Amino acid sequence: MEERIGQLGTEARGRIEGAADAEALKTIERELLGKQGVLAEVLASIPGLEPAERPLVGRLANELKCELLGSLAARREALDQERLATDRACDDFDPTLPARRAVRGSLHPITRVRRKVEDVFTSMGYSILEGPQVELDYYNFQALNIPADHPAREMQDTFYCTGGGNLVMRTHTSPVQVRTMERAEPPYRVVSVGRVFRKEEQDATHDHTFHQVEGLVVGEDVTAGHLIGTLRALLARLFGRELDTRLRPGYFPFVEPGFELDVRCPFCEDGCRVCSRTTWIEFCGLGMVHPRVFAASDVDAERYTGFAFGFGLDRLTMMLLGIDDVRHFMAGDLRFLEQF
Amino acid sequence: MLISTRWLSRHVDLGGLAPEEIAESLTLSTAEVEGTSTFAPHLDQVRVGFVQAREPHPDADKLSICTVDVGGAEPLQIVCGAPNVDAGQKVAVAEVGCVLPGDFKIKKAKIRGAASAGMICSVRELDLGDEHDGIWVLDADAPVGVGVAEALDLRDTVIEIDNKSLTHRPDLWGHRGIAGELAAIHDRELLPLDLSLPPTGDGRPVAVRIESEACSRYVALAVDGVRQGPSPDWLRMLLLAVGQRPLDLLVDLSNFVMLDLGQPNHLFDRGRLAGEGIVVRMARPGERTTTLDGEERALGEEDLLICSGDEPVALAGIMGGEGSKVLDGTTELLLEVARFDPVTVRRSAIRLGLRSDASARFEKGLDPALPMEAAAHLVRTLSSIQPQVSLPSPPTDEGSWSDQACEVELRAERVRRLLGLDLSDEEIAGGLRRLQFGVSTGAREGVLRVAVPSRRAGKDVALEEDLVEEVGRIVGYERIPVRSLTGEIAPPPYDGRRELTRVIQDRLSGGARFHEVLSYSFLSDELLATLGLDELPHVRLANPVCEGEHNVRRSLVPGLLAMVEQNRRRREDVRLFEVGEAYLPEHENERGEPREVHEVGLVWACVPSGADARFDAGCFCGLQGVVEDLLAFAGYDAPTWEAWAGERSKAWAHPRRALRASLPDGDGGQREVGLVAALEPGLHRSLGLADELASDVAVARLDLDGLLACAPRTGGYRPIPRYPATKLDVALALDATVGVDACVAAIERCGKGLVASCELFDVFCGESVGAGRRSLAFHVLLASPERTLGEADGRKFLRRLERAAADLGGELRSE
Repeated sequence: MEERIGQLGTEARGRIEGAADAEALKTIERELLGKQGVLAEVLASIPGLEPAERPLVGRLANELKCELLGSLAARREALDQERLATDRACDDFDPTLPARRAVRGSLHPITRVRRKVEDVFTSMGYSILEGPQVELDYYNFQALNIPADHPAREMQDTFYCTGGGNLVMRTHTSPVQVRTMERAEPPYRVVSVGRVFRKEEQDATHDHTFHQVEGLVVGEDVTAGHLIGTLRALLARLFGRELDTRLRPGYFPFVEPGFELDVRCPFCEDGCRVCSRTTWIEFCGLGMVHPRVFAASDVDAERYTGFAFGFGLDRLTMMLLGIDDVRHFMAGDLRFLEQF
Repeated sequence: MLISTRWLSRHVDLGGLAPEEIAESLTLSTAEVEGTSTFAPHLDQVRVGFVQAREPHPDADKLSICTVDVGGAEPLQIVCGAPNVDAGQKVAVAEVGCVLPGDFKIKKAKIRGAASAGMICSVRELDLGDEHDGIWVLDADAPVGVGVAEALDLRDTVIEIDNKSLTHRPDLWGHRGIAGELAAIHDRELLPLDLSLPPTGDGRPVAVRIESEACSRYVALAVDGVRQGPSPDWLRMLLLAVGQRPLDLLVDLSNFVMLDLGQPNHLFDRGRLAGEGIVVRMARPGERTTTLDGEERALGEEDLLICSGDEPVALAGIMGGEGSKVLDGTTELLLEVARFDPVTVRRSAIRLGLRSDASARFEKGLDPALPMEAAAHLVRTLSSIQPQVSLPSPPTDEGSWSDQACEVELRAERVRRLLGLDLSDEEIAGGLRRLQFGVSTGAREGVLRVAVPSRRAGKDVALEEDLVEEVGRIVGYERIPVRSLTGEIAPPPYDGRRELTRVIQDRLSGGARFHEVLSYSFLSDELLATLGLDELPHVRLANPVCEGEHNVRRSLVPGLLAMVEQNRRRREDVRLFEVGEAYLPEHENERGEPREVHEVGLVWACVPSGADARFDAGCFCGLQGVVEDLLAFAGYDAPTWEAWAGERSKAWAHPRRALRASLPDGDGGQREVGLVAALEPGLHRSLGLADELASDVAVARLDLDGLLACAPRTGGYRPIPRYPATKLDVALALDATVGVDACVAAIERCGKGLVASCELFDVFCGESVGAGRRSLAFHVLLASPERTLGEADGRKFLRRLERAAADLGGELRSE
């Protein structure tokens, strides 16, 4: 029996050493040490042995069992290390294989930039308003100091709705100024974002439907200096750094004084396509709220002063994302949309 | 508008300022400059030459061989074909290598055997006019060898000003106005200009009768003794610099006065006018006239006419008539300088498609005080060229107008407060004086009384704030210190719709794999008819971009459906959504505004799945799932889905495969919030989704306003079960009319509270199930919050389910 155990041990050591992987090792362990394993057989045969032999065989069998458990563990560990080493070596890795594409939808680029703009203003305490796109003539023109015979009101510039002519497709987001002032007493800090319509021929830079951002701030000590500061803060957030600006005269009937704000081109040092080689980009029309606009909404122009500004969201989006044709925005072409 | 810096120097000395500085200062203080350019840059290359000798070409009758000194070591031999070339002339010579307009490069040539080392140029070859009957003979004192531009003092930089930035400044539509601005900006003197009318004879003035209020002033002046001919070079060059083709003295002069003072004017051949004088009246319906471009124009009652007696001779403020235009032999003129109603001129010009330099100026509303000054300017300029001209009679000055000059009070504090710039009263007054406002410090401290001249008064400067702008732009806006807003800031009021919109956009554009689009608000009659929506009321445009595209959308779905085809051509799976506004005219408020509604539109189109696909493989089930997920993510309970009865306003929906979703509204009721539907089968072909583009299409519409009125989800967190669940798969073979909801109810009943979830995973119809029957297979999860379930629980459940299946007229097929 002693011999048999010795032989078993030799065989078992050989098998364990020769095991190729964890699976094989498991089989070996079951065959050696399992309930029906060879060692169990040996142990089961003990009662049939000479009493004198029993202790020795029992001890040897147990010793072998302990030893094999140890070698199994050691072999398992060694195989593990081998596997890890192979894993780490990773000889079949091909770094040039492409990634599996994560499939998702997309947010419209106008939405992306609109959110950026809205978030800058809400962080500065502005409310975001919308206002109707089918607008009363009164709000779109009259209350904004745009008289009945103003050229902007001609049929070739403004979409009029049928039925009496008191409804138009709003030509700017400025009516929201008046709607705001009508509703409550100053102070106000509001921004309005939305669709506007002008009867334009469509080309790479013009569409009859586009988006505007309008701002209105009214309070007891609001100056042109605050207006510049506000827009510089917006530009810094949109372009990621402080940009130089310049203010120059501009004419809009609902502000006085009226300005245009140019921003130093963020894309070049000495002129590029975006800034038409001037290093300045026209960004925004703006000004101090016209006393007649205050009067239309019964705001006391002696007590309060205010500023208003408006800029095109489409052009800003084109600038920020490098888009060269405004017509992509409303075309619903997935080849365009999937890029955002 | 083009402005010549050389022309400006007739009015203001801009010495020491580079053209770029002039341009930038205009941009920063007055009006936007779009760019600058050099006038006729080739005139720097073309040099003054002296024709030393001229011999006839031995082999060509019409050619001459000239020896021309251009200041080089040796004179050049140049062959010239002009009849007027002669020895002793100063001429413009383009030497070999010179490039003339039209990319015409001068090369060494042999002409009929004679070598020619350049070209003696005509006016037309230099792009300085249309004359081509001979070479351009220069002044005898022009210095030989010097560039023509320098020799004749023609160097000029042309500044292009954006017309749009001048719409509110009628006074700036001529060089003198711009010169006045530059004088103010750079604090220089505006040179005086004599605008008084020279003495006239005492003949009978021209009779003028104004019959329409659209003409507020009409100055008519007879001029005699004119000799028609070409203009002098100085005048031609100024006009060329600002892009006007010189024609003849009288036309050029008329243009010159317009471009100098901004006041359009018209010269008639007085001999061709009828005796009874000028009548200004509105056209009669059906009246026609021929304008001097030779076109016959059909007129209407809104067009203002200048008539000679009853005969139309000009379209007021737009264009003269063919029948009275000045001719080569004209000697007696009638000069018209008038003020016409801006709106009348604009509308006529637009309607007739005839927008001229004159109409552009009248449209801005010209200073009524200007016509007599402009008349004087024209006459004075004409007599400086032709001293023999005379004025036989005093001018006629008809109309009802008044000088617009006014006085405006300006509080210095108002300037400081609006601009946020600390200016002294003196700086403010100084700035205004530079702009030619009269300023007196009034009786009250800190109040300036500002006299506004007629040319700035009216719409331009009438209020205190208008003067604030004048001060600001002249002291320089760059001086305004940049400040941040201060004050109490409360968080803006909660905006549920904006938040919900963002949640929806994010969810759909993320895992749901939908692409956000923006579609036009205007829908065509054709699209609505295709979709069967043409009888619905729509807000309509009176003047759409194109015929028929005049319906303002009342839902986002039609616009989305119209976008599917082009995308399906390139993609097997197209998922589009839009969040936006739509308008319902039938619900207008007391002010006549249509009701604005906010909705989400979704369209999903893809290649149809095969017959053996899972029961829920199609777009319809997919879209329903997207909507369920969206509502859950937005914080709502699972919606109740009900069969849809069909509605005319949603004719795009399949009459049966459509479900409407509703949610609890918070007042114990249910509110419909949306619809998911397969596309109406008849629309596939008309939307281009048939044949090779055959598609499975589902459409959904969610009502944002409705959602905002619904109660948010009631239950919150559900505890994680402590005991493991038992999973069973069961299949029920039943009559096909038994709904899945009935089966689920049966399964839940049989679980006696232990059914944690029950999910349909297969629907099978086939012979083994029997005709008219189907097998519904479910994954069922049994769990108890109190104990681990044993096999006995499962067996009991299945036994109960067996009986329940039998009650439903079917059987339990498997475990």
